[in-house]
Parts: sequence; structure tokens; C-alpha cells
Amino acid sequence: MIYGIKRVLKYAFGRDIAGRTLAVRPDDTFIVSYPRSGNTWTRFLVANLLHPGEPASFSNIERLVPDAEAQSSRYLRSLPSPRTIKSHSYFDPRYPRVIYVVRDPRDVVLSYYDFSRKYRQIGDDYPLSRYVSDCVQGRLISADWGTWAENVASWVYARGARPGFLLLRYEDMKAETARELQRIADFYGIGLTAERTTTVVERSSAERMRELEKTEGKNWVSTRDKRSDIPFVRTATSGGWRTKLSAESVAEIEAAWGPIMAQLGYELVTRKLEAAEPAFAGTAPKRGENRG
Amino acid sequence: MIQKLIRGTRRALGLHHPGRNLVVWPDDIFLISYPKSGNTWTRFLVANLAYPDTPADFSNINTLTPDPEGLSKRELARMPRPRILKSHQYFDPRYKRVIYVVRDPRDVALSQFHFHRKRKVIGDDYPIEKFIARFVAGETSPYGSWGENVISWLATRQNRPGFLLLRYEDMLEDTARELSKVAAFLGLPADPERIGIAVDRSSADQMRKMERTQARLWSSTKDTRQDVPFVRSAKSGGWRESLPDSAVEQLEAAWAHLMVYLQYELRFPERATNFDSRFLEPILSGTAR
Repeated sequence: MIYGIKRVLKYAFGRDIAGRTLAVRPDDTFIVSYPRSGNTWTRFLVANLLHPGEPASFSNIERLVPDAEAQSSRYLRSLPSPRTIKSHSYFDPRYPRVIYVVRDPRDVVLSYYDFSRKYRQIGDDYPLSRYVSDCVQGRLISADWGTWAENVASWVYARGARPGFLLLRYEDMKAETARELQRIADFYGIGLTAERTTTVVERSSAERMRELEKTEGKNWVSTRDKRSDIPFVRTATSGGWRTKLSAESVAEIEAAWGPIMAQLGYELVTRKLEAAEPAFAGTAPKRGENRG
Repeated sequence: MIQKLIRGTRRALGLHHPGRNLVVWPDDIFLISYPKSGNTWTRFLVANLAYPDTPADFSNINTLTPDPEGLSKRELARMPRPRILKSHQYFDPRYKRVIYVVRDPRDVALSQFHFHRKRKVIGDDYPIEKFIARFVAGETSPYGSWGENVISWLATRQNRPGFLLLRYEDMLEDTARELSKVAAFLGLPADPERIGIAVDRSSADQMRKMERTQARLWSSTKDTRQDVPFVRSAKSGGWRESLPDSAVEQLEAAWAHLMVYLQYELRFPERATNFDSRFLEPILSGTAR
């Protein structure tokens, strides 16, 4: 009952977390991705692109590019239009303009494992292979963003062929940051000089973000009260799965999400193996299992 | 502010309609479709199949197959499990057992046009071309556009366990056959007699009769125009006579790839400019497990 009254008051005063009840405006732009897919980096790039006079940091990012799933309805209402808002939500037809960042799910899962340890959702002794199965089968101890494939497919297929949707691959952003930044700038209709491009990229670099995390991490809503021995800004590289994930885990991910991975240009490595060695079938999720 | 306090209090007491914020149980079964795609018929069929001792009608359908947008959170929490819930929602990962009914968008658009007249959202003189343009843009419904709603479910769940796709047109063609698929999906007895009874009790004629006597009892039809029926033609292909070519073109241009995948023959295949069958191929074909 006390909990109920607290909720009533929170709601009445607009202190409730916005999330999917966010009041969307027609000129809003959303930066959407599955967690651990380069969303924070993209937020920094966009913030530094839109606000050249104010270098992005963890102390101002919630004002420059607020997090719909961490900030209150009232706070989001108070921000001037046009807003750029961060979200991990699966398809929401109300979002008018969307920058969707996708990352190789084999790296996503690996990064999510460290994140879950940082957030104390699992201990250091939690087996990585079990965590991979949790991810694939939708059994993560975190907010419900759907599985990686559900989240990605719901956006890419509902909006992929329409204007107002920009699909970015984390791997392309790493390889060709300036070029991908140009695509973001085009999406916003902002002109870019070589000089400004360099400034935006430097202000959003992994090194700078790591330094900022050290000094500001204790106050940022996403890292406050979390384990400080595991960094939020991790390797910022791609392909870590090749050495860190077991062949069984890779096979499990590819068996579940192979078609959409291939569609997005992520090369599958176990396809042929699987055909040749039916042993892998034992670790792949079986039909009839809860897959959410 | 006062209004917000009232709304907040209703929430705290569980008197609000939860809609998308429904508390989902893992054994919940969802009957989902875009509005005007045969959802109510499906509810009757499934209710009559699952609960043969209680013939479905407009006064009990909300109890047999509850609607999270028509019942309070408290009522929904008290329903016996497993619940068979009705929904028009676009993809929601928490819904684990889903029967999705899809219908030719040209008929859906036409039906929604009449439904909006019935609900006095638009007048009888509202231009249909204008309505279709808004329909394509997803402005006539809070559940996304037809294409967004359908693809959000197909792209995430088609060919996966816990998902059954039904075409309204197939249901019309052979209702017993399609209802048998539902029975198998839900693990219900599928003997021809039981299927036959459920089909007869849910016929368009039966539903029309019930609508005449019970329309004022049901949340979806009370306070609407009684001269425009809720149970409409219950046919497919009405768009051929009633939709102007320009409207058909708009619909086909927007969703050609999806319509072809769902086997809805295009009238203007040559004008479907954004058509790309490869777009859906990998995820919807049998290669997606």
C-alpha cells in the first residue's frame, strides 16, 4: 500500500521513469540499439555533433541526449525540442525518427556478460556459456528488451525500407568513424567540415570516454552504485568473441540468429561445421523451448 | 494535477485498464491481430473451442477472452489461468504464446473506414482516399500501421515455437481446418464434432443475431452508431468493388513485399516500386529457426 501511494505520488508529480510511457513529440529523434551495442558512443557522437559548444561528458549527456529508460517523464518533458533521446526499446511505432545501431551479437553477448557482473546481476563465477544460453533464450536478469534478434528484427523489418530510419553497424563505425558520422550528420541535415568531424570524433573517443568514466562515473545514472572495478566503457573493439567465446557458444548464437546475422553482414562461422558435425545440434536451442 | 492524482489512485487500486502495461504470465495465450482483421471472430471461435460449456456471446466474450484494454488490472489479475487474451498490440517480447491473424490490408482499410464511421470518428462524407493515406501512415490506429504491426510479429516470431500465423481468408475458406490448427497449437481436443460446434456457434449469422440483441452490453459497440454494424460483411475481397484504384495503389505501394509474402495478389504489381522480395526472405523463409 505504501508502495502504491509512492507510485501515485511519483506519477502525479511526473517522477516516474518515462520508458514506454514517454510522451513522444513529432520532431523527436531516437538513438536505439540493443544494450552493449555502442549506444553510449553514438550518444556522444551525436551530442558532440549537435552541441559543438559543449563537449559531451557523463555529467551532461543526460541533458544533451537523455535516456528514456533512466529519466523521469517530467524531466523529459522539460527538455526543449527537437530532442534526441536514447532508448533500448524494441519496435515502438510512435518513434518518428530512429538511428538504429546494430552490433555483432557475439560481441554483444560478451560485453553484456561483463555488464551484468558490473550491475551485480550475476557473480564473477557465473559460467559464460550459461550466460550465452540465457541471452539466446531470453532469460536475462535485466529489463525486457526482447532477445537481440527480436529487438533488431522488429526495427529493421518494420522501418528498414522507410525514410526516417538510419541503420548503423557498430563495426562500420569503428572502421570508418568519419564516414559514418557523415551519415548521421546527413540524417540531421547538418553540414560537416573536416575540422569539425575531427573534433566530434576526438571528443567521443574511447580514451576520452574512459577518462571521463573515471572522474564522473560515480555520478552518472547508468554507473552510479555499480561495481567500479569493471568498466562501463569496455574494449571498444570488435571481434573479441573470436578468442573469448567457446565454439559451442558461437554455434548456439548462430543457430538461433543466423539468418538475421547474415542479413546484416555478420559472417557465420559454424554453419558448415554444424552440417558436418551433428554434435553441435545438442547445444543449439531446441524447438518447443521458450525462446522469448 | 487533480486529474493526475485521480488517475494515479485508480492505478494504485488496480482499476485502470492496463493495455500495454499488462502483467503477463508465462502461460498466457494471446489472440493478436491488427484491428478489423477478424479478431472478434477468432475470439468467438477459440472461446467456443476452449469452453464448450459456455457458448460465447457479446456479454461474456470479455470474460472468456479478456481484453487488457477493456478490463481493469484487478479483474485481469483474477482471471483463471491460462488466460486467453485478446490484443491488437505490435510486437511485445513478453507474449510467449501468440496466435496472429492477418487479413488482406485492402479489406482491413475498408473495414476500418466503416468502423470509424460507426464510432463517429469520421462522418459519412469523409473521403476514402484521405482515409487510406492516413491508414498507410499509421495515423488511424494506436497500434502502428498495418505493415508495422504485421512485420513486427513476423520478423521476430515467424517459424519459431509459440507462434501460429492464420490468414483470415483461409479461415473463411475452411474454418474447421484452421480451427483444428488452433486446437493443435493450444493442445485442445480436435475431434470434428467439437470443432464443428465451435464453428457453428461462431458463424457470422450467429454473431449478427447476437449483436442485434447485445450490442449495448459490449464495451466495443455500446455508445456507437447502431445503424452501422460491428459484424460487417465477414467476406474477403470487398475492396475490389468498394476501394477506388488510387487507394488500392497506395496500399500496394506501401506493403507490396509483405502482401506478396502473405499471398495477397497485387492488382498493380508493376507499380509497386519499393518491392524487394529479398528483404524478407532470410528471416521469414524456412531458414529461420
